[in-house]
Amino acid sequence: MRRNVLSAAALACTAVLATAMPAFADDPSPVPDTTAAATDSAEQADGTGPSPVPSDRGASEATPAPAEDTDGVTVVPRGAPDTGDAPVAEQSGGDGLLIGGGAAAVLAAGGAAVFVVRRRASGA
Amino acid sequence: MTPFSRRAVVAAAVACLVTGCGGGADSDGPVATETPGNRSPAAAGSSVSRPSPLARSVPVGLEIPAIGVDTPVVRLGLAPDRTVEVPPITADDPAGWYRYSPTPGRPGPSVILGHVTVGAHGDGVFRHLARLRRDDGITVRLENGTAARFAVTSVRTVAKADFPTEDVYGDTARPELRLITCGGPLEDGEYRDNVIVFAALRATAP
Repeated sequence: MRRNVLSAAALACTAVLATAMPAFADDPSPVPDTTAAATDSAEQADGTGPSPVPSDRGASEATPAPAEDTDGVTVVPRGAPDTGDAPVAEQSGGDGLLIGGGAAAVLAAGGAAVFVVRRRASGA
Repeated sequence: MTPFSRRAVVAAAVACLVTGCGGGADSDGPVATETPGNRSPAAAGSSVSRPSPLARSVPVGLEIPAIGVDTPVVRLGLAPDRTVEVPPITADDPAGWYRYSPTPGRPGPSVILGHVTVGAHGDGVFRHLARLRRDDGITVRLENGTAARFAVTSVRTVAKADFPTEDVYGDTARPELRLITCGGPLEDGEYRDNVIVFAALRATAP
């Protein structure tokens, strides 16, 4: 019986370690953040600074008069505005779900193993 | 001993499942495509006496007391793909006025955009835009020292795929205002919807 308890404890520890490893490995990766920031700043700079793609686009954008001089919208933009950069916690939400699901699966497997061991030990 | 250990294993598995599911259900926000308020902004307030339009002057500040907004306003143009530019993603992100729309207080729809969230910086300037209700006040300060005071006529949450271009950018006879941000649930790291506030000029100052 004591062996059963010990084996259950060992399985639980294994499950905790198995779920902790991916969590630790997931955190310290600064690479995506910097690339995202670079993209954002590039887009912003593109709108305010001189355009890297010269004459064609620049000419077409410069043609319409700013609406400061008219009443009504002089250039209707294409599509819907993208006015939300998702919070970091939301972006990693999928990872959290995966880790949680993995932990649940490992624990369930551990529980099944304990059950089998106990059944064998009791000779049923 | 036997029923206890079995219960312990089951309880641990259930707890793990609960925490795992909780990770993904953080704050999807309100379900989209709800339409609190009036859907036909042009009709609202038509019987109210109309203030005279203001002289053309670029907006420099925006106040929305109902949701605690008091922010500078920057100018926005078009992105290379011909979508509207958005304000910079910074800690204290400002709102942005679309420079190809009328200045606030002039006839037509003046368009101001702001972020709902700004990535690692947290909430954006328009985080609570969807909480606005009909008749809430909006004040836009202009570069020449005057101010245009608007009242909300409707708030709409619409799927980006069905963005109401004509309702937002179409001509209007009187001075109106559009405030735009993102909303709805996140899908692959992108907000599914836009929240659009329609407002009409209520007064001018000084």
